[in-house]
Amino acid sequence: MNRRTREYLRGRFGDYYRSASVSPPPEANEREWGHIPFTAGDGTTMVRHQSLLDIGEVSEFLARETPRHAYFSAARYDDPANKRMSEKGWRTADLVFDLDADHLPGVDPEETSYGDMLAACKDELLALLDILETDFGFADTDLQVVFSGGRGYHVHVRDDAVADLDSTARREVVDYVRAVDLNYDGLIERRPNERGTTLQKQLRREGGWGRRVHEELVAYAEDLRAMDEDDALAELQELDGVGEKTARTIYGVLERNPDGVKSGNVELGPGASTLVRAIAERVAAEQTAPIDEPVTTDVRRLIRLPGSIHGGSGLVVRPLEHDAVDDFDPLTDAVPDRFRGRDILVDVHDPGSVDVGDDRDKVEEGIVSVPEYVGVFLMARGRAEKARE
Amino acid sequence: MEPQHARYPFFAAAREAVRESGVDLAALVADGDPAVDRGRERVERALTEGTVEADDDRGWDARDELLSYPIARILVSLLDSRAAVEKYAEAEAATAYRRFTEDVERDRDDGARRDPARVDRDALLREFDLNGAVRVEEPKPGQVEGTWLWLGVGAYLSYVDPDWGDDWRLVNRELVAGEVRTEREELYRLLREAVEDRVGDGLPFEGVGEELADELEAEISDLRDLLADRSVTADLDVVAPEHFPPCVAKLLGRAQAGDDLDPHERFSLLAFLAGLNLDAEEAVALSGLDPELVADRFAYLRDDSGAQYPPPSCRTLGEYGICENEHNHRSVAPHPLEYYSRSLGEADEVVDWRDRDESDAGGAAA
Repeated sequence: MNRRTREYLRGRFGDYYRSASVSPPPEANEREWGHIPFTAGDGTTMVRHQSLLDIGEVSEFLARETPRHAYFSAARYDDPANKRMSEKGWRTADLVFDLDADHLPGVDPEETSYGDMLAACKDELLALLDILETDFGFADTDLQVVFSGGRGYHVHVRDDAVADLDSTARREVVDYVRAVDLNYDGLIERRPNERGTTLQKQLRREGGWGRRVHEELVAYAEDLRAMDEDDALAELQELDGVGEKTARTIYGVLERNPDGVKSGNVELGPGASTLVRAIAERVAAEQTAPIDEPVTTDVRRLIRLPGSIHGGSGLVVRPLEHDAVDDFDPLTDAVPDRFRGRDILVDVHDPGSVDVGDDRDKVEEGIVSVPEYVGVFLMARGRAEKARE
Repeated sequence: MEPQHARYPFFAAAREAVRESGVDLAALVADGDPAVDRGRERVERALTEGTVEADDDRGWDARDELLSYPIARILVSLLDSRAAVEKYAEAEAATAYRRFTEDVERDRDDGARRDPARVDRDALLREFDLNGAVRVEEPKPGQVEGTWLWLGVGAYLSYVDPDWGDDWRLVNRELVAGEVRTEREELYRLLREAVEDRVGDGLPFEGVGEELADELEAEISDLRDLLADRSVTADLDVVAPEHFPPCVAKLLGRAQAGDDLDPHERFSLLAFLAGLNLDAEEAVALSGLDPELVADRFAYLRDDSGAQYPPPSCRTLGEYGICENEHNHRSVAPHPLEYYSRSLGEADEVVDWRDRDESDAGGAAA
């Protein structure tokens, strides 16, 4: 990034910050603040260990310093500006989740467009939110969902019940969300039947992954019953380890006692554990979220500030209302309004497709006129320099 | 003072009662009060037996019991050893666990008369701010009420240790709406952890007066010896020879150089290595000693059941002429494994000897 580009971006980020209102996180004065300034070279030196006493009011700080990247700590400290982590006096920390499009199972970052990766990431975000709300019971008001401005989403949980958990406890949360070390055999347990007269094999369906597997199994059983017998038997034999004979046994039990599965009963004959395992693996594949473990377990980490601009994309780190997640298109909706409505000249040295904006087009090499947000995106990503107007 | 305070001296109300009584702990020590004897016994039995229950029926009264707790905390602080704090807190928790389990179960038994020394479930939960975090499940047909509880996930995660086993891992629990389904006995286990945290909190504390420390010197000296002989099973699985205590490092250096070690020296070195959970093959690779001899000694040092002959303490090593008590280290680390554990704790980064490149292996500090 040359000097002209740097000065241009810094100036325009400044214009954005002067007109935007960035809400600081709760207890902003107890948090550590950090930022990466626009400096010569690839400048990734972070200025950190600052408190609100050092930076002043957040919106004013952003307008004055116009950092390339801005961060705050998930943690609250007695002395957030202390240079030694061990002397900051850790109090509590938000529980933070990070979904990064670069690390999604089955998505090759080399082969997939930025837009497609972000779309896949949003599906994972919805899975994560479902777990956080349904299983962990976090209230909508305690969850802040944020587009990271780069390659994914962050979720900040601010619930007192989990604020003082240490790293080990947070790893348990991560493992739960990702179903790491889920004991598939342990999903079934011998429990009293509905009348309490005998013990029978049941799914541990009162909560957790057992509940999710149970819901899926009930739906699966209903699908089977809606089919004719041959199709149902064929469907069952699609499962690993289920042959014709086992398929018949399972099908027979489901036909005779359609309500059994609903009440958690999995006395389905010899193939029961195979069936449950196959359904459980499907549930784990579909309903887990591939969150980045260190972000959640590191209780002293700095997180990108919602409302700031991501210096590597020129997109806003956009907080999202929960019900707006579905319709959110980061590549349009995270474009700062400030960067819309005029064209600028940039000198493109890495041509090709551009994923942001309303008409996602290709840019040619050399000096071209593009909408400003496209120019900012290309410059922030290091694909173009600012050309003289 | 209420009888319950003696049974649960770590409860906030009990500690408050001690404060309010205005008892001067230093004066108790100076006067040789029975509470001091009971305090010493508390720590002694914690280190040796894993309980703080009184050993005999000497008939300690409630006052002795209650006051012995702050005395015990002073003693543990003066021991200034992580191992001592851990063992002591574990023992207080084990004893409390036995007591409150009995109390709460008795309380469930309708016929039992209320005994003011005992604690009921609600009071116990309130003590740890858990009264809002526990909900009793409606019993299903065939179930006894109170078998299953729902515990807030934050509270659950605060106290559970994933190393307790797969069944305790959150991923394997029934979790819904922020609550973890928990059996009654499991709640007791978690409360035991809460007690351990409470007791360990703030230990060792600084600022025990010098005079008081002097008065307790004999007690401390005895307890330190006990600790040295017992605290050798710490979980030290990292092998980093540069952090070995000087005398062990010297022995290792000589062994690697092919010097003949006398039987005491050889035993001391191998017992130390066995104490780090090295197997015989690894001990040979590290020390360069004769494989047959090492295998033979290891068979004796550690049998298949995991029982282990503890490595000698610094005092014993001193008697062998091996430990010279450099920098007076015995006052803080009277056992070579404890010395090593402290040294590891202070290091910035430790790479296990087994994970190093070939060229680095065996690079013990001489």
